[in-house]
Amino acid sequence: MKKANKKSERQRQTRDERTSLYKDWRVILMAFLIIFSVASIYILPPNFSSGPEGNLQLGLDLEGGSWIQLEFQSEIVGFETQKPLDTFMEDLSGEMDADIILINEDPAIAEIRKPYTRDELEQVFSSLGATITSYNKGVSPVTADDIKRILEDKVNRLGTKDAKINLLTPAGSEFPQYVRIELAGVDMDDAYDIVGKQGKFEIRIQMAGNETEHVLFGDAIKTVGMPAQNPPGSDIWGVGFTLDEQGGNSFRDAAISSGAVYSPSAHNIMMLLDDSIIYNAPLSPNLADELKSAPVRDLFASTGSGEEGQEKARNLEVHLRAGALPVEVKIAGSGSVPAELGEHFKTMSILAGLFALFTVGIVVYYRYREPNIVLPMIAVNISEIIILLGIARYIQQLDLTAIAGLIAVLGTGIDQLVVITDEVLHEGRVPSPNLYLKRLKRALSIIMVAATTMIIAMLPLALMDLSSLKGFAIITILGVLIGVLITRPAYGRIIMSILSK
Amino acid sequence: MAVAGYDINKYSPAKMMALPVAVLLVALAIVGFTWIGTGMPVTAGIDFAGGTAVTVYTTDDVGTIEAVFSGFPILSVTEGISGGTFIKFGPMADEEFEELNGILSTRYANAKIDHIGETFGQTLQQQAAIALIFSFIGMAIVVFIAFRTFVPSVAVIISAFSDIVIAAACMNVAGVPLTLGTTAALLMLIGYSVDSDILLTTRILKRKGKLEDKLTGAFRTGFIMTTTTISAIAAMLVVSSIGGIEVITQISIVLLFGLIIDLMNTWMLNAGILKLYVERGEGR
Repeated sequence: MKKANKKSERQRQTRDERTSLYKDWRVILMAFLIIFSVASIYILPPNFSSGPEGNLQLGLDLEGGSWIQLEFQSEIVGFETQKPLDTFMEDLSGEMDADIILINEDPAIAEIRKPYTRDELEQVFSSLGATITSYNKGVSPVTADDIKRILEDKVNRLGTKDAKINLLTPAGSEFPQYVRIELAGVDMDDAYDIVGKQGKFEIRIQMAGNETEHVLFGDAIKTVGMPAQNPPGSDIWGVGFTLDEQGGNSFRDAAISSGAVYSPSAHNIMMLLDDSIIYNAPLSPNLADELKSAPVRDLFASTGSGEEGQEKARNLEVHLRAGALPVEVKIAGSGSVPAELGEHFKTMSILAGLFALFTVGIVVYYRYREPNIVLPMIAVNISEIIILLGIARYIQQLDLTAIAGLIAVLGTGIDQLVVITDEVLHEGRVPSPNLYLKRLKRALSIIMVAATTMIIAMLPLALMDLSSLKGFAIITILGVLIGVLITRPAYGRIIMSILSK
Repeated sequence: MAVAGYDINKYSPAKMMALPVAVLLVALAIVGFTWIGTGMPVTAGIDFAGGTAVTVYTTDDVGTIEAVFSGFPILSVTEGISGGTFIKFGPMADEEFEELNGILSTRYANAKIDHIGETFGQTLQQQAAIALIFSFIGMAIVVFIAFRTFVPSVAVIISAFSDIVIAAACMNVAGVPLTLGTTAALLMLIGYSVDSDILLTTRILKRKGKLEDKLTGAFRTGFIMTTTTISAIAAMLVVSSIGGIEVITQISIVLLFGLIIDLMNTWMLNAGILKLYVERGEGR
């Protein structure tokens, strides 16, 4: 009688545990995330045509394509001087054969768009009565943004799809020093052509009626300014640019022969890039007057007022440069993976993952010889990978090193499931629920410390722009987080429920 | 009771620590020697030294390939397992590289190319060094916060340090270059290494019971733990080397070295220090 009671009590307890498993929030969360991840990869948006990778973002080494990384040959220099800043800047520009831009007035910071060492600059600055207070390689964030726009514009104009352009800042510096251009499905030779190619820029002037006549080509443009208000503070935006001597003469000749100097409003000035019109506005009356007496080499193209005018000015600047970058660049690195090889790497990566999983399964089976432990272990491990991929789909592209991270996470995952199993079980048996949960807590705290160290160890790489290992580090950190916060605690509950049957 | 033929309770702490300390000293000598010779603790690959690595898929033999690129600074031409031939070039000027590109695209279309400029390589070196230093310090801080006792924390940190140094020495001996990929593997070893050390330390310091039993229990769990990871990495190594994925092959080799070394460092060096510490009664 007593015995029967005990038995029925135990059955009830088991039933409670089993129903509680479906109510346990960790288990529910894990199940939800698995569904969400599979959906993210294949259904949101629907994608069944691109093979096993679905919506996952793949890196160049799995997809095929080329990358080029350019290093800006310029410096950001902080300095102090007793002279008025304008005079000093003029003196400096006179002394050095380089584009120099003041990017901040107090403290004074200048961008020098040619490569100089600190020593070289110190000599020049001290001869002009200034001292250098800081020296960093790179460009100002504004210039960096400009460079990015110019490259994007160029790549888009050439119709290249799937291009990624990223500015990179070395750790320990606040100034971008590199730009990395990734072109999927383009071979190295073409990539160099695209990045190195300049557009054909032309200025034409409207004659009588709709006829236009050639004035000058892009080679006559010496410098291009940044978007600015003219007159300053007026909210009328535009871009200033300078012509060389010959260009100045051609511009004046055209303005006179077309009659624009006498009736400026009837003669539009047109700018064309690769034969399509990018700017079209009448000659300004003031400029027309000036041109009557002498050539003008400093020109300003107005683009209108307000934010719209400013945006147009930015685009115009990009076009005026015709794809030429405002700073000198050197090739820091480049690489190329042919599409077939990428395809091969993809197959191999999947194989490597499956084979690793299989091997781990055998090792764990050899240790526990209990399908009730081994199967949940492997299932949880697979869930971990699925959730990791599902989340990665939104934040990180997968390249070969990220795959290595993924497989390493698979290893750590099993590692820690072993810790949990050994910590809570005694000779393959589940102790009373209270003791079990206490031990589970202790196991999870061991795992927590181990996971924190792994995350800390990977953090520098994840935060560093430069190395191509960001993907590896982010995948590893993400994998550890998912494991520690979701799947491993869920495993603790699942194994308890299965083994207490 | 012995797992894998090693009885963790059989030896005195001094005997346990002798082998790992000896190996560490040899490793330090190898790494130091390389450092003096090359300026880097491990021979640098193109990521850090600058240069160009090209994999071509061709029926041309090594001699033909050498002749085609005779005008460029060829370092080596080797045939891989999966039909690819690896060609390594030293640093060259931008114009020279573009010329190389031209030849590759006409003669060996579908080549895999990796090119790193010399100065950028140096920048990458600095960045990698920063990452390694921050990772290690970060790990040390976490360990100290987790255990809040000096000797056990230092034992974990020494064991992690030893893992990395010995793995680096193994790389030198086996001819695995230091690249971005292998640096990442070394960083990952910091995380992996601490894994089993933490299991050991927690079991010994925070559980009640006989020291011998706790050591045996920890070793059983720790050994199976590390061997499952080793098996996952070994699987990755097999597939990646057959598939000719150089990055993953190199990462797996370094992780494999490190994990095997970690078995020694955790269960001989770290366990030895802890045993000494507990037996002297400071752990109570």
